[in-house]
Amino acid sequence: MDIFVDSLLSAISLVFSLDSEMLAIVMVSLQVSCVSTILAGLVGVPTGFFIALRRFPGKAMLITVLNTLLALPTVVIGLFVYAFISRRGVFGPLDLLYTQKAIVIGQVMLIIPLVSALTIAAISRIDDRYRRTAMTLGANRMQTAKVILFEARFGITAAIVAAFGRVISEIGISMMLGGNIKGFTRTMTTAMALEYDKGAFSLAVALGIVLMALSFGMNILFHFFQGKYRT
Amino acid sequence: MKAYSIHNLRKSFNGRSILDVDCLEIEAGRIYGLLGPNGAGKTTLLNILGFLDQPTSGRFDFLGKAVQFHEKDLLPLRKEVVVLDQYPVLFTTSVYKNLEFGLKLRKVERAERERVIDEVLDLVDMTSFKHSPAHNLSGGETQRIALARALALSPKVFLCDEPTASVDVENQAAIVALLKQINENKNISIVFTTHDRLLAAGLAHHTLVLNEGRLVSTSYENTFPCRIEPENDKQIRCRITEETGILLSSTKVKSPVAKSRLFIDPEKIDLHTGEGMQGGGNCLQGKILQLMEESGRVRVVVTVGFLLTVLLTREKYDSLRPGIGDTVVVSIVEDAVTLSN
Repeated sequence: MDIFVDSLLSAISLVFSLDSEMLAIVMVSLQVSCVSTILAGLVGVPTGFFIALRRFPGKAMLITVLNTLLALPTVVIGLFVYAFISRRGVFGPLDLLYTQKAIVIGQVMLIIPLVSALTIAAISRIDDRYRRTAMTLGANRMQTAKVILFEARFGITAAIVAAFGRVISEIGISMMLGGNIKGFTRTMTTAMALEYDKGAFSLAVALGIVLMALSFGMNILFHFFQGKYRT
Repeated sequence: MKAYSIHNLRKSFNGRSILDVDCLEIEAGRIYGLLGPNGAGKTTLLNILGFLDQPTSGRFDFLGKAVQFHEKDLLPLRKEVVVLDQYPVLFTTSVYKNLEFGLKLRKVERAERERVIDEVLDLVDMTSFKHSPAHNLSGGETQRIALARALALSPKVFLCDEPTASVDVENQAAIVALLKQINENKNISIVFTTHDRLLAAGLAHHTLVLNEGRLVSTSYENTFPCRIEPENDKQIRCRITEETGILLSSTKVKSPVAKSRLFIDPEKIDLHTGEGMQGGGNCLQGKILQLMEESGRVRVVVTVGFLLTVLLTREKYDSLRPGIGDTVVVSIVEDAVTLSN
């Protein structure tokens, strides 16, 4: 029990003293997670939107595949991307392995299915009367799509928040493709694993507190925004 | 001028015909009430008239021009027609932005948008709600703002799906008055669907009745589901309730069916009052529940185990002078009855 209390007190002190090593790790984590989330959003939201609104053969199967991909372990994606970007891989000459770009590639692959599947769910929940109302008021296809996107904004924001939460807390991809290089590819989760291996819990617990605070803060912000439009 | 001229319009879904209209002509500047039971195809027809849905086949002219149901051709047509849903939705922004939406799409200048929005809000008596969040409005308020949103666009045709079905009596009266007002003042053609025969009679210049996707010449009233039972070799009984049925000759039924829909023409029903009258055959005894003057005729609603409407000429009414609560006998001749599947 003492070790936990000592580590917790020491961690709180690290957080409030804005320890430079801790801040560097947090910055790397935020950087790769934000880039991954933005890229996955740019691909996943239109993909989900298209799948939700269009009728085409194999649509149900595609949604099933997307839902299956939600359960894909990060180490499998890590291995898969590694096979392509390692020195012997097709993209070996690009020298991506153990860079933040490699982590971003893996994380984007991890969360595109998540963003797409949650966007499909969000769009599907939008009452068809919004589409017909926009059309009867004179909207063309693009303007109607904008109306539907606007009405689904909370669901889509929730998809993005969930995707960010998924990548900032994942470890398999960051470890396998980033290599946990200090000041460069060391993220909060890989740093926590390393500190645990070393038996030094202070920084690990401090990073855990920051990770939880980040998730909590994002969710509070989201719910505050959403609450303004609830009847 | 005709707003719509439609011939041989068909709409089918999964091989099942849901609309089959041989000829429909809608005059510009008039109000049309579209009556019919649930599933008759009223909303489908309204959506086709509003260019939100397309027919499977048929010739369709709008304001004298043939319509090709291609997306790029439909967009300018949709700007002339607005469909108001039975349960309209407002975008989850402010009332102002809802009203502004269609005007912005039509590239109306900001000052003009402001003027139109103020005008239509005044028309629906909702000026104080101009900047309110649209998602906080009640059902009646939503209906009125949706009406205002449509009117702001000054459409040539306004299509309303059961405009008063989801609102209270106070809002119903306001909506009916508003529809009359915009038809008279702005010469907007209006087509509305309803189950309410009285609303149609009071508001519409013309009434259309849809049944099983077809326009029928019958009025919407006196249509009952019935069970057909053989009475003897030559007659069948169409049972409307367990106790009440109509006797018809077997030739009325083209193919042997157990269930059917029966229509009794209210103009061909005879009404008898006074002593010594008796029920029997196709004479049903009942009490008068309602009397109403309608376009020079008198509508009499009689309860005979079910509610039956009888339309009397003024002369017939004057000779009988029936009163509410009077016991009467209605006589239904075979000619007055139509059976449909």
